[in-house]
Amino acid sequence: MSIPARLNEVLNELPAIQARPAGARRVRVDVAPQGLPALLELLKGRLGFIHLSAISCVDWIEDGQFELVYHVWSHEMKLLVSCHVRIAREPGVYVSVHDIHEPAGFFERDIHEMFGVHFDGAPSMEKFILTSWEGPPPMRKDFNTRKHVEETFEWVDYRPDWLKDIERKGGGIES
Amino acid sequence: MTTPQVPDPATLAPSEEYDLYFGPNHPGIEGNYSVRVRLKGDVICQAVADGGYLHRGFEKIMEDRLWVQNIALVPRICVPDPVPMEESYARAVEMIGGLEVPLRAQWIRVLMLELSRICAHLFTFGGNAATIGLYTNMFWGVTMRDLFLDIFEEITGARIYHIYITPGGVRRDLPEGVLERIEALLVELEERMPQFEDLFFNNAVVIDRATGTGRMSAEEALAWGVTGPNLRATGVASDVRRDDPYLVYPQVDFDIVTETGGDALARMMVRKGEVVQAVKIVRQAIAALRKVGGPVRCELPNPLAWDLPAGDAYARTESSKGELGFYIVSNGGPRPYRVHVRGASSMHAVQVLEKLLVGSRIEDVAQIMFSLDACPPEVDR
Repeated sequence: MSIPARLNEVLNELPAIQARPAGARRVRVDVAPQGLPALLELLKGRLGFIHLSAISCVDWIEDGQFELVYHVWSHEMKLLVSCHVRIAREPGVYVSVHDIHEPAGFFERDIHEMFGVHFDGAPSMEKFILTSWEGPPPMRKDFNTRKHVEETFEWVDYRPDWLKDIERKGGGIES
Repeated sequence: MTTPQVPDPATLAPSEEYDLYFGPNHPGIEGNYSVRVRLKGDVICQAVADGGYLHRGFEKIMEDRLWVQNIALVPRICVPDPVPMEESYARAVEMIGGLEVPLRAQWIRVLMLELSRICAHLFTFGGNAATIGLYTNMFWGVTMRDLFLDIFEEITGARIYHIYITPGGVRRDLPEGVLERIEALLVELEERMPQFEDLFFNNAVVIDRATGTGRMSAEEALAWGVTGPNLRATGVASDVRRDDPYLVYPQVDFDIVTETGGDALARMMVRKGEVVQAVKIVRQAIAALRKVGGPVRCELPNPLAWDLPAGDAYARTESSKGELGFYIVSNGGPRPYRVHVRGASSMHAVQVLEKLLVGSRIEDVAQIMFSLDACPPEVDR
């Protein structure tokens, strides 16, 4: 699949954009952080990318960056454009696109809660799921679930007789 | 998840408004969820959705499991409609790994997806009816669904968490004679549908209670990111199966059911129509499966030592609740680097629900939520 000419025309109007086909009805666009709002505005206004399907966040801890992926769909072009931006992991601040796509409010709040990214101008950065959680944002790669469990809970040895029987025969769940 | 705060009434300014916690322990709430509503009399002035009662951390857990191990996790994200979860995860993995699903497996997946859609809609018919006091319909819906679960059990060994769709195909071929049993069950469902019509869809109480309740326009629905039956109930003929097709859906003949009311009644009428269309699709899948043979899974490397190439993919599936998305990132290792689940209820269980409840009456909270078919576990994940 090649990039449709109409989409290419719009992308060429913006600086520092890299685009490539990414499978059937999929286009990947890499854009600088300061260019994303304008890109989303243009895609929405010119080509009917009115549906923000999701915003995904990826923690590239070794690069010291968060990657934010804005998946927008055009009902007219039947095409999904995934716009990738990378922001510095510290301080982890970006701008809300809620004024362009209203559903962004939900995803930005979720990303704030799970990764700690703050979105300036978002309608709500309040907790939604982890209200009573006081620890670090748990989806960050440096949050170690096993370490947290070992520090928080006590292990209970669960080896019922039926499991011991299996272990005597050479089976079991211990490697 | 919020702990209710109970202030000393003597410290509060005089007000005609009061807060009510609707759920999580309320028979009218869908799933482990809560909505905090501010009321003036019995009219809602503000609604705040409150999730977090069912958070299981699937996305984090999946980063620590092998590609093949996650098959056992994904159906658990949404109990009423688990098959689209399996399909979306498997397809995103296939997109990254460049796997070709054999034709027979594609038809089996379509069969499973549409049977799951029928189950989910029957469940919703029942749940929605119960919110306005029609419990017989609930019993019938759940009973009918149970007969379909028998079929799932026969095919997969499990009634809900099938763990059947795997990257590259399905776990095993269909058991002998199951296609005939599905056909017989479809006839039974069709015989039952007029009774659902009489009891629910043509019921004066339902029409009176649901007409105009939780109404949204097509413009609002599109701006708010609404998808699936809720969007189609506003007159927008949008369906991932048609717009961004996957598997063998381009070969399948079905109508996109739409209504124009945009209210609770229109949403249920769309679901009723979609049951009819799903039956039509299942019959096409059965006909195809009688002709198409061959393997049901492509060749895979040792699943315990399987490094997927580095890359990312976003797979979208039309679930019974709308657009379900799985965004998966691989860094070339044996486990996903990142899995993001865009639950089909992400919008209509939170932001859209909050908007539609304002101006409604307290007795319609449950009906609006069920008519949206909100599945909170998809939001909590």
